[in-house]
Amino acid sequence: MEYKRYKYIRVKGSRISTYGRFSERRPYLIKQRLHNTLKKMNAEVCDQCGKCSSACPVAARIDGFSPRQIIAKICLGKEDELLKSGVIWTCTSCLKCKERCPEEISPYDVILALRRETIKEGRQHPTEYDEMIKTVIETGIAMQPQPARTRKRERKDRASLGLPKIQKPKDQEKYAEAIRELLKEIES
Amino acid sequence: MKVAFYPGCTIQTDQIGYEASVRNIMPKLNTELIDMEGASCCGFSPFSSFNEAAWYYSSARNMAIAERMNLPMLTLCNGCHLSFTETKHVLTKDQVMKAKINEKISREGLIYSGCLELIHVFELFHDKLGEDKIKHVVTKPLTGLKFGAHPGCHAIRPSKLIRPDDSENPKKLDEMIQWLGAETMDYPGKIDCCGSSLASTSGKTVMEMAGEKLKNVKNLGLDGLVTTCPFCFKIFDNRQRAIQSVIRDTSIEIPVFYYTQLLGLAIGLKPEILGLDLNQSPIDAVISRIGGL
Repeated sequence: MEYKRYKYIRVKGSRISTYGRFSERRPYLIKQRLHNTLKKMNAEVCDQCGKCSSACPVAARIDGFSPRQIIAKICLGKEDELLKSGVIWTCTSCLKCKERCPEEISPYDVILALRRETIKEGRQHPTEYDEMIKTVIETGIAMQPQPARTRKRERKDRASLGLPKIQKPKDQEKYAEAIRELLKEIES
Repeated sequence: MKVAFYPGCTIQTDQIGYEASVRNIMPKLNTELIDMEGASCCGFSPFSSFNEAAWYYSSARNMAIAERMNLPMLTLCNGCHLSFTETKHVLTKDQVMKAKINEKISREGLIYSGCLELIHVFELFHDKLGEDKIKHVVTKPLTGLKFGAHPGCHAIRPSKLIRPDDSENPKKLDEMIQWLGAETMDYPGKIDCCGSSLASTSGKTVMEMAGEKLKNVKNLGLDGLVTTCPFCFKIFDNRQRAIQSVIRDTSIEIPVFYYTQLLGLAIGLKPEILGLDLNQSPIDAVISRIGGL
């Protein structure tokens, strides 16, 4: 995946650095595809009772993030607004909205679907994901070993705690190739 | 009991104290951990928001390794456990996806059938080992201490997929702590999120969310917070200083433990081999009350 522009999304407290484009591409197609994905999630039966937003820890703290409103916008056909705003990236995935929804709609799954759509379209999204994927493709795990220090500021590592080596795929290339193929499928 | 051991990326690279405590207590509980050769990331954080197929591939690949070992798989991380559970659920229903994933993992000589038994930390200690076995190995009961239990979101939700504990009133971690001789108490926000997944997008919000929880624990006068999730621990323990400064409350000094560290202390193991040196929260007073220092 190659991205040309690099910018920040602002949310309360910090800014998210992102990769991707801002312009719209094939808006009709996106709507159609999203509509098909979201239809399975029953968004249109939402009564707007607000149990999701009242349970949501982020809605209480970040302006503009509300699972109830996200579902409302989908019902009104305003998916584009959501894809552009960047709020979909501030969900903590605590799953309370999914748990509490009396209609079993799951705003969480809707948010994940919107995120995947953003990626498919190559729109702006937090760089964190690209970095993690790069690490997974190169090493088989999502993070590099982090320096560990004790409360007395002494260094510790896996060996000093008697831990074995980190397990990784035996044939990294075969593993990485499969992931690359799966990632390519969404771009086409 | 023998289990295939899947510690996951975060624990192996960042929360090595947790891994050390788990590896060191298991021989006392007659549980043998067999490392999974060639294991990789479960795919949850990098791929669940990015690409479904790559996520299911990552999870199924690890489950296929455990299937080949013919053992149930123990996961320490709530996120990994949910990832495996969800993948299993999806691939049972979606045979097309299953075939596509199997085509990819068969190149490494693996095959995913879906028959694997997954074991969460709660299930291991609470359901499999149980009260009698745990009480039996405790030699230094944690008498007089009172903790708050933090099960973590992904251990209890969504209840539609089978989770290790109840979504609105989780009790297993509390009971596991009580078996060590300590007391537990419910506190406001027990089933709330630590905010960890927001760390890279809105650091301040995470600190506010976690800070509120730590405040509740403090206001009840509890001796500490206990969890089994590496993401939650990273926020409550490793980032406690940052929480203090963001919510401007330096009186928040809450000792935070992994359950397995407390269990290790209760069975008389030394704090060093339980990785307790690596906890950044002020835990020394609690350890000396147990008689570990």
